[in-house]
Amino acid sequence: MGRLRGPAGWATLGALGVGLFLVLTAPADFQQGNSVRIMYVHVPSAKMALLVYLFITIAAIVHLWRKSARADLLVEAAVPVGTAFAAVTLATGSIWGKPMWGAWWAWDARLTSMLVLLILYVGLAALRSALEDPVKAGRATSVLVLIGAVDLPIIHFSVTWWRTLHQPASFKGSGTPAIEGALLTPLLAMSLAFVVLGIYLVLLRAGLVADRRRLEALEMEEPTHG
Amino acid sequence: MEGGSLPLPSTDATRDATLTVAIQELHFNFGRHRVLQGVELTLGPGDCGALFGANGSGKSTLLGILATRYRPRRGRYLLDGREVTPDLGHWARSQLLFIGHATHLYGHLTPLENLRFFADLRGLRPTDRTLAETVAQVGLGAFARRPVRGFSAGMRKRLALSRVLLARPALLLLDEPYSALDGPGVEWLNGLLRDYLIGGGTLVMASHDPGRVAALPHRPFQLREGRLQAGPAAGGEGC
Amino acid sequence: MLRAAWRIAWKDVVGDFRRRATLSSMLFFAIAVLVVFQAAFEPDRQEATRLLPGLLWVTVLFTSLVGLGRVFQAEEEDGALEGLLLSPMPRGVLFLGKWWGNLTLTILVELMLVPLLMVLFNVNLWQRMPLIYGILLLGSLGLTGLGVLLAALTQGARSRETLLALLLLPLMVPLLIAGVQATGGILNGGEAGPWLRLMIIFDVVYLALAPWAFGWLMEE
Repeated sequence: MGRLRGPAGWATLGALGVGLFLVLTAPADFQQGNSVRIMYVHVPSAKMALLVYLFITIAAIVHLWRKSARADLLVEAAVPVGTAFAAVTLATGSIWGKPMWGAWWAWDARLTSMLVLLILYVGLAALRSALEDPVKAGRATSVLVLIGAVDLPIIHFSVTWWRTLHQPASFKGSGTPAIEGALLTPLLAMSLAFVVLGIYLVLLRAGLVADRRRLEALEMEEPTHG
Repeated sequence: MEGGSLPLPSTDATRDATLTVAIQELHFNFGRHRVLQGVELTLGPGDCGALFGANGSGKSTLLGILATRYRPRRGRYLLDGREVTPDLGHWARSQLLFIGHATHLYGHLTPLENLRFFADLRGLRPTDRTLAETVAQVGLGAFARRPVRGFSAGMRKRLALSRVLLARPALLLLDEPYSALDGPGVEWLNGLLRDYLIGGGTLVMASHDPGRVAALPHRPFQLREGRLQAGPAAGGEGC
Repeated sequence: MLRAAWRIAWKDVVGDFRRRATLSSMLFFAIAVLVVFQAAFEPDRQEATRLLPGLLWVTVLFTSLVGLGRVFQAEEEDGALEGLLLSPMPRGVLFLGKWWGNLTLTILVELMLVPLLMVLFNVNLWQRMPLIYGILLLGSLGLTGLGVLLAALTQGARSRETLLALLLLPLMVPLLIAGVQATGGILNGGEAGPWLRLMIIFDVVYLALAPWAFGWLMEE
């Protein structure tokens, strides 16, 4: 995995460069003005927050099923990346919401689900750090990942249902207004760039986690035993 | 309470059969700390294997593997010729009984209730009378209806060991069984174990006290640097 | 095998009665929550009726945290958890036992909570009580099922109870929404059916998943 890190870094830099160029040269929306450009960060990071969760769900299943330490390492590496994407989604949603809705926050169904996802990501990291035994910590984290994977669709479903019940479609969704061709190209470019960015960040973190585990194993060896 | 032989109380669960324990080329490590490196051990019905070794030599780990608490990293653990895989874990646990340092007793329950709890979790259905007899046999008859919370370490140990009488396992694993027992207690335990062995049971125990094990017919083993060697301790008082 | 699960639940509930530990803590915690609500919002009778579903479910949710924090404390006594794991019972049976024990205590608290709520907030909904109990029971199945599993996850963790709250509350959002909406529907004549179905889905999903997940957790 270490060999991939360098190329992934350059690919990220290139993809983000191209994406940002397209975003900044895209025409401003006639209704939303320049604030529509936030969408090009908001939508891809929302997708990535979910995609990373899908990734750790698969890794957690492999970890529990095959007892693979490498899968556990990937779960640990990907959790902060997902946290960052979820946080960026909420922040950009909020910044976009201020001019659009006149408020920093609305209990919109998608934003609410994303907030729960962010808390879940934070909980995953907190659970691992709170357990002393690394094997048990890894296993508990993977089980929690699966619980969350089952819960997220139920959360999304219930929140959507709940919001539509109370405020019939005054605004539709948090992002994605009907997208026309001219706006679609930069969005696709940015989505691609974020996928590459996500891969790069997970690889970077995986390297760090692997190094730290090796270090801890060496420290464990240090004290004398009978 | 008297030492020597006691009749085993009849329970409605009988021992499946006697069985043979075999461990082949067993390796185990905690992280990078190699605890067991190629342990070999075979014991049949009526055999008592006594494991000696310094603190941290891996006696408890080996017992933990036999009790299915840990899974061997390499090598095989056979019970009755069948390899104990995770799928067979339930079966293995129904054949063996492990009594270690912890007594697994609940302080708010009485001895009778603790034994009833143990029996239900093992799928046994002893009668109330059997339970009362068992408690009486380990010398706690007068305390049968008091919460275990106030018991001394020796009383708790006796109560924990009384599970042997109830469960009649084919394989018995004991970790430092003599700790917390007084002189008569040691004699009583040796009597109980002698009967157990005569009945065809297989016993593996870890101890650092060859003197107390000496009263039992046993095969001594030394655990040193992750390997198991037959024979008494060098310069130990052995058997 | 169910006998073993039943015995574990019996042990937990009887232990609680003998020590008067969890049950009374839960009950008085619930009362404290109600007092705080009253002090903070001072609802009049009409407002109290409107707020009642939310108030009920928030109190139940917070109160259950008190009980769940202690579910595995009982097994820390003298290696008791190890003793359970050394038994030949499948791990799922052990989970069932722990779950039934917690469910019993939770239901007992809820039985006392509803009349208390009505008296303290001066709300007259006595004839709807059986329905409220029914919804509470439906919610409690999932709440305690997922809760006991999370308690097992956080067992032995540093600052366990805070962590448990951090994990439980967001995961409970669907059940909370459905519970509040269904209770409100029954009290104010709205629609409750779809929300009850959502609660049943939640219960079934978690009660099917939890025993297996407990097994994966306790393996080796």
